[in-house]
Amino acid sequence: MTAGVYVHVPFCLTRCGYCDFNAYAGLDHLASRYVAALLREAELAAPGWEEEEVVSVFLGGGTPTTLEVADMKALLARLRDRFSITADAEVTIEANPDTVDRAKLAGLLEGGYTRLSMGAQSFDRAVLASLERLHDPDSVRRAMREARAAGYANVNLDLIYGADGEQLESWDATLREAIDLGPEHLSAYALTIEPSTPLGRKVQHGAVQPPDPDLQADMFELACSLLGEAGYHHYEVSNWAKPGFACVHNLGYWERRPYLGLGAGAHSYRDERRWWNVRPPEEYLTLVESGRMPVGGEERLEPSDAYLEEVFLRLRILEGVPSSWVEPGKAAPFLESGLLREDDGALIPTERGMLLLNELVLALAG
Amino acid sequence: MTDPSRIRNFCIVAHIDHGKSTLADRLLELTHAVADRDMREQYLDKMDLERERGITIKAQAVRLTYVSGGAEHQLNLIDTPGHVDFTYEVSRSLAACEGAVLLVDAAQGIEAQTLANFHLARDAGLTIVPAINKIDLPNADVAETRRELAALVGCEPEDVLAVSGKTGEGVAELLERVIAVVPPPSGDRNGPLRALIFDSSFDAYRGVIAYVRVFDGVLPSSAKVRYMATGQESEAEEAGVFAPEATPVQKLEAGEVGYLVTGLKDVHQVTVGDTITLAGKNHAAEPLPGYREPLPMVWSGLYPAEGGDYSELREALDRLKLNDAALAFEPETSLALGFGFRCGFLGLLHMDIVKERLEREFGLELIATAPNVEFHVVRGEETIVVHNPSEMPQPGTYDRVEEPMVLATVITPSEYLGPIFELCQSRRGELIDMSYLSPERAEVHYKLPLAEIIFDFFDQLKSRTRGYASLDYEPLGYEPSDLVRVDVLLHGEPVDAFSSVVHRAKAPVYGRQMVERLKELIPRQMFDVAIQASIGSRIVARETVKAKRKDVLAKCYGGDITRKRKLLEEQKKGKARLRRVGRVDVPQEAFIAALRVDNSSKAGTKS
Repeated sequence: MTAGVYVHVPFCLTRCGYCDFNAYAGLDHLASRYVAALLREAELAAPGWEEEEVVSVFLGGGTPTTLEVADMKALLARLRDRFSITADAEVTIEANPDTVDRAKLAGLLEGGYTRLSMGAQSFDRAVLASLERLHDPDSVRRAMREARAAGYANVNLDLIYGADGEQLESWDATLREAIDLGPEHLSAYALTIEPSTPLGRKVQHGAVQPPDPDLQADMFELACSLLGEAGYHHYEVSNWAKPGFACVHNLGYWERRPYLGLGAGAHSYRDERRWWNVRPPEEYLTLVESGRMPVGGEERLEPSDAYLEEVFLRLRILEGVPSSWVEPGKAAPFLESGLLREDDGALIPTERGMLLLNELVLALAG
Repeated sequence: MTDPSRIRNFCIVAHIDHGKSTLADRLLELTHAVADRDMREQYLDKMDLERERGITIKAQAVRLTYVSGGAEHQLNLIDTPGHVDFTYEVSRSLAACEGAVLLVDAAQGIEAQTLANFHLARDAGLTIVPAINKIDLPNADVAETRRELAALVGCEPEDVLAVSGKTGEGVAELLERVIAVVPPPSGDRNGPLRALIFDSSFDAYRGVIAYVRVFDGVLPSSAKVRYMATGQESEAEEAGVFAPEATPVQKLEAGEVGYLVTGLKDVHQVTVGDTITLAGKNHAAEPLPGYREPLPMVWSGLYPAEGGDYSELREALDRLKLNDAALAFEPETSLALGFGFRCGFLGLLHMDIVKERLEREFGLELIATAPNVEFHVVRGEETIVVHNPSEMPQPGTYDRVEEPMVLATVITPSEYLGPIFELCQSRRGELIDMSYLSPERAEVHYKLPLAEIIFDFFDQLKSRTRGYASLDYEPLGYEPSDLVRVDVLLHGEPVDAFSSVVHRAKAPVYGRQMVERLKELIPRQMFDVAIQASIGSRIVARETVKAKRKDVLAKCYGGDITRKRKLLEEQKKGKARLRRVGRVDVPQEAFIAALRVDNSSKAGTKS
């Protein structure tokens, strides 16, 4: 079975109010120690993974592009050295438009990072301000131009819809602008309020309105229709790609292929076991520097857990679940009401069904 | 044995919060009934629940020994419940006495229950000892209160005593006055035994304990006795007095007050107001007057929040009833709430106390339907008694409906008369009369449907009079009324737990309120849900809960999967707790919130 390797970089220039990832502003001084620790962890974790055919590497964060190009190159070189990474493996790096210029991008491409994923979020200044994103829509346009100039032929843009105050018109304009920039891949996420974030607390206190689910549903439908017209294939709830550009790495998660996570808080999965590294970067550093595995916890998936994951992950992608997995009769009301369709022995959510995926999962696997 | 001439049986009656329990504490101290080190506040209010609510549920009788004029006197202080729900129990306690201290807060003056209790005591033929309490308060108005109280009782202002239950001032004078003016008990010590049961309680080890006042004859410590109303007989195990802890005695004689361990295990066999006599040929010919079955006034469905707790609820109700003869219950089934019981209570306070005890003492989680009164549906010669609104027949199938009426007494500063008239009119009230107690205070009598009082009447009264008005009411029997049943339908299915019987003129408003309330409480489903209120087949209000469109996790990558799976499992457990009405899933909380009585009428409780 093919596998993926994920590397987590927990540094950011600033923390965005909505983000609940394991990311920190103001820890840049740890960067070189952190890179050294990643190299070391790759050594520690490699035994047992040498035989896996690694088809994707994903450097995510945080903001990986806060690291030096040389460090990122050395990191990928070490991974290629220790793991069986295929020659045509998909190698993605996440970038913040403000932390890349043409030289850096050219360096990354040359170093083997052939897929670029940029957080554009919105082209509406008011929406970016509401999300506490510091960048300007212009810097996305600039970064996109420079990526193309540097030779990038596989670029993703991340978009977020449903921020406080955003209306359908603004989202429409953002989508059209994103399409005009012509990325090979687009991710469009409904803004989710996580209680533990600054934005989550503002919503709890009533300072910020929570997203209106009906408006977000309209925005989702708009994305489906505009992106579809523009030739993007909707292959996962929040992901669209031009033919041949679906993200190999992320498909690995949804298809339940093994993945190895390196770095603070990164999760790994293989053989129905999932484990995760300690989250605080300092703790991660201390453990790895003393030659220990930085694992903070693990779980073994019971068959019922594995089944539930299989169903809810497969329903996210257009592969769907085999009809034979589902108790007879359970799918019928959803086929009838148009939330599911049946194709070649598989139950696949329709666009409306994707919006109600939790209900579908509970109804089919509950 | 105490000579009857040196026995006094008396009680203290007062409006809630006028300091009865604190005064009782001082009496216990003054007569050395309780050692100083054992003294605690509100000594006689034993149960936790009573102490927290600041009210007395169960009457108690305490024997005090007090030397006056060189002679030892036996003073029996009978504590009476102070709440309008328990009027009958009050009347039985009063019947055990010859005198009553009528206690009034010097800062509050006469209030509605002062009047109600005064009338009850006077009607029971008791000698009234008027006394003003809390004279130590900075805002005490002793002169004005004295004037009001003298006018009420019909005595001279100087005959009104002034005491402080807090400092003890005037308490000895009060005892002397009781001995001087309250008549000693009369009765025939040689006649056949007649003892009044004025209260009872249940002890897990000793069974049913009756609190008794012996009127004639002698109650031996152990004897075969007979309960005249029920015809029950039992081998009594022990007679005793509360001094204030239970103390066995050889016998209780005519004029004395005490307790009897009945040897019975079921409190229903010993009903308050019944007369105890000896079994066999020495029994009394006639019972003491005034016995009445306790009558529930307010009904509500109680359902376990978890369906499986039904048998536990039944057991708990059985256990509570051992100690509470006024509690009635019968099994009922609700399509929405499953198996439960329709329970009858003396009033809303009684209902709250029972519900709280079920939850606290038995660890049950309950859903209570909105309380309702008992309706009489008349069809030809037949009268159907309806305790549950969903059992009310459809319009056109009966001749008329009757509902219980009450006579409400409101005492208020006269500046609030306007708002009170307005409130009573809006509750279908009919003004009977009014009079001024003083230029500043008035007494108003209204005839009102009981159903209008049991909702938020008391809170409305309090808020419109800034807390100054007080309320009391007594039953006036049944009268015909234009009542209709309002049903609430979810997606076309009637939800029996939400049905209510209301006056026709108010039905659309009620229906609209329920429908709007439910719109906020019913979560969005996979389809549009119509919420309707109907009278018969006519829809009087409608709202729609639009179908849910979005319920999906936006992101699910390698580090999210474990957490998202657990979220889904939580969601699954949440779904299992939903109740199904037709095709609609309704959370437990929606039932509880929709049925909550926001501002229940708890006349007389401390808040």
